Amino acid sequence: MLDRIGKNLRNALQKIATSIFFNTKEIDEACYEIKRALLEADIDLELVDSLIKKIKEEARKEKANREHLIKFIHKELVEILGGETHEFKLEKKVKPYKIMLLGLYGCGKTTTAAKLAFYYSKRGFKACLLGLDVHRPAAPEQLEQLAEKAKITCFVDKEEKNPLAIYEKFKEKIKKFDLCLIDTAGRDVLNKDLLEEIRLLKEVIKPEKTFLVVAADIGKAAKKQAQGFNEVGIDGIIITRMDGTAKGGGALVSCKETGSKVFFIGTGEKLHDIESFDPASFVSRLLGMGDLKTLLEKIESVSEKKQTERKFTLLDFYEQIKTMQKIGPLDKIAEMIPGMGSFAHSAIKKIPNIFEVQEEKLKRWRYAIDSMTKEERENPEIIDSSRISRISRGSHVSAAEIREMLKYYKLIKEIVQSREPRIDKSILQKIAKKFGKKIF
Amino acid sequence: MFKFLKERLQRLFKKTEEELEKKEEKKESIIEKIFKPIITVKLDEKNFENFFSEFEIILIESNAAIEVIDFLKTQLKKDLVGKEIKRKEIREEIRETTKNAILGLFPEPFDIVKKIEEKKEKPYVIVFFGINGTGKTLSIAKLAYFLKSKGINCVLAASDTFRAASIEQLEKHAEKLNLKIIKHKYGSDPAAVAFDAIAHARAHGIHAVLIDTAGRMHTDKDLLKEMEKIVRVSKPDLKIFVGEAIAGNDVIQQAKTFNETVGIDGIILTKADVDEKGGACISISYITKKPILFLGTGQNYQDFERFEKDSFIKKIFI
Repeated sequence: MLDRIGKNLRNALQKIATSIFFNTKEIDEACYEIKRALLEADIDLELVDSLIKKIKEEARKEKANREHLIKFIHKELVEILGGETHEFKLEKKVKPYKIMLLGLYGCGKTTTAAKLAFYYSKRGFKACLLGLDVHRPAAPEQLEQLAEKAKITCFVDKEEKNPLAIYEKFKEKIKKFDLCLIDTAGRDVLNKDLLEEIRLLKEVIKPEKTFLVVAADIGKAAKKQAQGFNEVGIDGIIITRMDGTAKGGGALVSCKETGSKVFFIGTGEKLHDIESFDPASFVSRLLGMGDLKTLLEKIESVSEKKQTERKFTLLDFYEQIKTMQKIGPLDKIAEMIPGMGSFAHSAIKKIPNIFEVQEEKLKRWRYAIDSMTKEERENPEIIDSSRISRISRGSHVSAAEIREMLKYYKLIKEIVQSREPRIDKSILQKIAKKFGKKIF
Repeated sequence: MFKFLKERLQRLFKKTEEELEKKEEKKESIIEKIFKPIITVKLDEKNFENFFSEFEIILIESNAAIEVIDFLKTQLKKDLVGKEIKRKEIREEIRETTKNAILGLFPEPFDIVKKIEEKKEKPYVIVFFGINGTGKTLSIAKLAYFLKSKGINCVLAASDTFRAASIEQLEKHAEKLNLKIIKHKYGSDPAAVAFDAIAHARAHGIHAVLIDTAGRMHTDKDLLKEMEKIVRVSKPDLKIFVGEAIAGNDVIQQAKTFNETVGIDGIILTKADVDEKGGACISISYITKKPILFLGTGQNYQDFERFEKDSFIKKIFI
């Protein structure tokens, strides 16, 4: 999927890039491709249409070139998400600062509530959880168990079926806390009763902030839901399940519809799998185009600076594999980098199972590397069979495994040092950092 | 449900009909008009592109995945372009062709009750998979309720030993439905739970075992391996993928991975009451070539509809 979208967009932009003067036909063709790519990322049709219109206008302007257009699309999408990086700041003055979470069924409200409480408790806030999901079986138990894991106070009532009564019951108790995260029942805004319930809750509780929780893989239903929830007022958005392959186009629509910003993304099932949101990286992912920020910096700098040939040592290789393991298969990473042409793809195809390198094996590789001399680490080419058998004896790693490692090293080196894609290790690592570990 | 798709399709068919009716009326002489096609009209590439570009948008707005739309396009193009159509039957013809193309995407569904009854050696084992938060547990409760109404007894296996309160959640359902549940502690081996449940069913002559598993992202290799293990140990008769009707293009990726990893036999789409568009039904059927068995349409046990492809087609075409 990611592969296709990336390719589509690349082709589209290639078309623009190869023509010095744009004619209408070329722009139309390219725009059609861009449109499909955006639709495939679940972005709302209306939004795509208005964006395409803008792109066409922009393309007709003088001086429009490929980089310019990439930048333009990127900028437009980032703007929809609320502009450059913005952090959500808690005010300590208000006590308790109440944050209410709303959303559809099964989008991860309860988990997110616990994650947020955990997030802020680590940052010196005294946080508590309040469970108002009275509909789903075992919802209070779920919040309770999560709270226990996070070591956070949790207020739930397993018998009471009226959320307002639960709130009244704990009203005084939560006043002792800096922050109270309120979990509500999942609801579908097409259901008027549930919407009414939330309106009532909001009126009584008067939360300082109300966040809408949206799953990254939601499709075209996002628009209606966002509109519906916005009737009760939404201050921010949290996107969950960002660790899948979904692009989160539906989330983008939610932003557009509610006029609010995304503050956090959920990237896994564990308590610490929550990150503050970076619109620029998100859009890059949405477009399947890699980290454009890094890329654009590169495009700007490449003309002045010649790439310096850096030595790629075994230790670099080891670090590389470790990072790769964290972020996902290599071909996916390549996908994130538009400049990486067919050359890199074919090179990567040669290492099919790099992702499968297991933790255990990696550990043994480390032992082997530790048994090498400094010279061997820096110039692994000099390692011959007698050296291998020495290393093998010293580290208790079999010679076959050391050979395997050296084979991988060569392949990775080929990619890293190849001039054509002009991507060095530091850029790969930068990208890895930027995208967090579980984004693929 | 599916009102959206239906309304849009009707408008499109009408429009195409009008467009084709106007066609060829301008330049022809009277003689030609008499001898040449008064009654028939030929659909050319341009007509088709006009028709399809709009049909495409309708499908996209209905949440169908791009991959499916591409497939439908080649299919319809083959069937429609160059075809002589009687003037009177333009709308009918296009509608029928489109209808059949979409109908062709749905594999033949099977009757789960019959399958359970046909199995000689009890129990019939059904395992449920899906990503997080799609509604696996509720779907299991709903299916158990449905099977009960058909006189089939079930035991539930709480093999989601990971998510907080997942066991309690299934337990509550079991309590309400008066069913036996087999559970272990949190963090225990899900395959072992499934194994015990099957042993229990065998010992007590219970018809079916429904295994609830933890939600897992299709990108998590380790969890996918765990899923393989559950399948290896429990040797299920039926592997059901639980997906969301509201998911967008990504549902394809999800279903594909699950299908490739363990091979699914059937699909339950939940939250169909939230989405009135129905595109996910089309996408997921096309990708997996496996039948959709049920649609989850609400929070109650009764909100569980058997998916019939004919009635789905009827809903959007009539």
